[in-house]
Amino acid sequence: MTLLPVILSSVIFFGSLILIFWEKINRSIVAIVGAVLMIGVGKALGFYSEEAAIAAIDFNTLGLLLGMMILVAMLEPTGFFQYLAVLAARASKGNQIRLFLLLSVITTILSMLLDNVTTVVLIAPVTILISEILGVSALPYLMTEALLSNVGGVATLVGDPPNVLIGSAAGLSFNDFLVYSLPIVLFSWAGAFFLLKYLFKQDLAKQSQRSKAVMELDPAETLNHPKTARQILIVLGGAILFFFVHHLLHVEPSLVALSAAAIALLWIQPDIHDVLKKIEWSVLLFFGSLFVMVGGLEHSGALEMTVGLFENASEVSPVLFGVLVIWIVAALSAVVDNVPITIALIPVIKGLGETGMDISPLWWALAFGAGFGGSGTIIGSSANIIVATLSEKTRSPITAALWLRRGMPVMLVTCAIASILYALVYRWL
Amino acid sequence: MTVKTCMKRDVISIHADTTIREAMTLFVKRHIGSLPVVDDHNVPVGVIGLRDLLKLEMPAFVDFVADVDFVHDFGAVEDMRPSAETLKKQVKSIMRPVFTVKEDCGLLRAYSLMLQQNMHDIPVVAKDGKMAGIASRVDVGVAILSTWFKAEA
Repeated sequence: MTLLPVILSSVIFFGSLILIFWEKINRSIVAIVGAVLMIGVGKALGFYSEEAAIAAIDFNTLGLLLGMMILVAMLEPTGFFQYLAVLAARASKGNQIRLFLLLSVITTILSMLLDNVTTVVLIAPVTILISEILGVSALPYLMTEALLSNVGGVATLVGDPPNVLIGSAAGLSFNDFLVYSLPIVLFSWAGAFFLLKYLFKQDLAKQSQRSKAVMELDPAETLNHPKTARQILIVLGGAILFFFVHHLLHVEPSLVALSAAAIALLWIQPDIHDVLKKIEWSVLLFFGSLFVMVGGLEHSGALEMTVGLFENASEVSPVLFGVLVIWIVAALSAVVDNVPITIALIPVIKGLGETGMDISPLWWALAFGAGFGGSGTIIGSSANIIVATLSEKTRSPITAALWLRRGMPVMLVTCAIASILYALVYRWL
Repeated sequence: MTVKTCMKRDVISIHADTTIREAMTLFVKRHIGSLPVVDDHNVPVGVIGLRDLLKLEMPAFVDFVADVDFVHDFGAVEDMRPSAETLKKQVKSIMRPVFTVKEDCGLLRAYSLMLQQNMHDIPVVAKDGKMAGIASRVDVGVAILSTWFKAEA
């Protein structure tokens, strides 16, 4: 093994990461440039090829993301998410604490089944509507929705992109997440929820003078296409049932999601161009390009060298090692996008497995760190950025400093709870 | 036919350094939809419309929720009033760039520009760039129709 491929592939990969984090050039553009550079350099030096690059792309991840995106793209225009939020507003009768609890629970459940970004994009606008009608600040609700969707997303295979990546790479099933991740997430969620309720207690104590106005919101009128909403929910429900048994049927989750998308498309026959316009192709391109780049790192021998650095890692207690992974990944995810971190760490963890280490707990440590870390700063996750951007148009814009005061405690508490439970669980396994 | 034939010559305008409160008073008193902002030489430098003022207290959700039909009671939003600080700000803080036509501009051209620029009134300037008049969509539209009648006769 010569050093030149290692150096060049590392320069391309880390150079791209720096440009992505610098955010002056769109991340998908950086990623595709990095990917073609990696293939070009790899071919010239003989460590990488087009075939190897295509083989490095995890189509299972892309398929699962695409399938879920198609379903959401069809569900969104039906007004179903507004419907849920309006039901919550009416059930709260304008009481802030009750509204806070209901919106938190709805957001969390949605974030477990859908991508966090999607969840927040759909629930935040109607949250602003409800709080404006009540004459209360939207800020506690918006921040809590983003933070709890970050937390809730960790619970399931389909809840956030890092989990999709980890599940696919480690061969973890939907149920594995329900068994190993969901319980720890529930405790972390409770910690986050009560912490937020405490941090926002001043805002939430204000009594709305116009609480009757929310009773005038008509849930039936929020549903633009009740029949379509029903059809997609049936298909989505079917997909979730199949997620529970996909490993027994030896079917990858991507096939389940894409089948559901295909059935929904055939059943409803929407304008396909409208649906495809809502698919986030830039995200899929970003993922695909990152896979190609990390494939190059792998073929150049760079990852092998990184794993070599951890040769003595098996001497460290595995529990301590896992807890370290949670905190290091969380700290990284708080300041940078957790997708490239996850994609880069997956081969490293696989490499550690080849040294004889038991890596099955490490996958969960990676998932907790990547998921909970995003809460720490305003740029920690896309969901945070979305609510902050929306809040700029309201009376109480969310600032980066405020996010540190509210979000950082949530990140610390969720990581601490996850670390303690992680240590307790894997001490005896 | 040019826009000169249908424009109103008595233009109500305002200076950029007057307050938003004064501008609002003008809108109410003169029952107008848009107000050209001019400099000391009566040259248009900007415009404020009724919607720019209403936007000051428009709820944010109207921008985010595609169809607000299901909201029957706007609740607390109905009681919102611009703060005293907002009213004290100068007109130039909220004015938009102005789009004008010359007096010899054709009627159809004027009307098309208003449609494309989403304007309800279009300020008309003389050759020296000074404000000469203002024409509304109704002024221009009706003038176009009347030319059709003349053609018939």
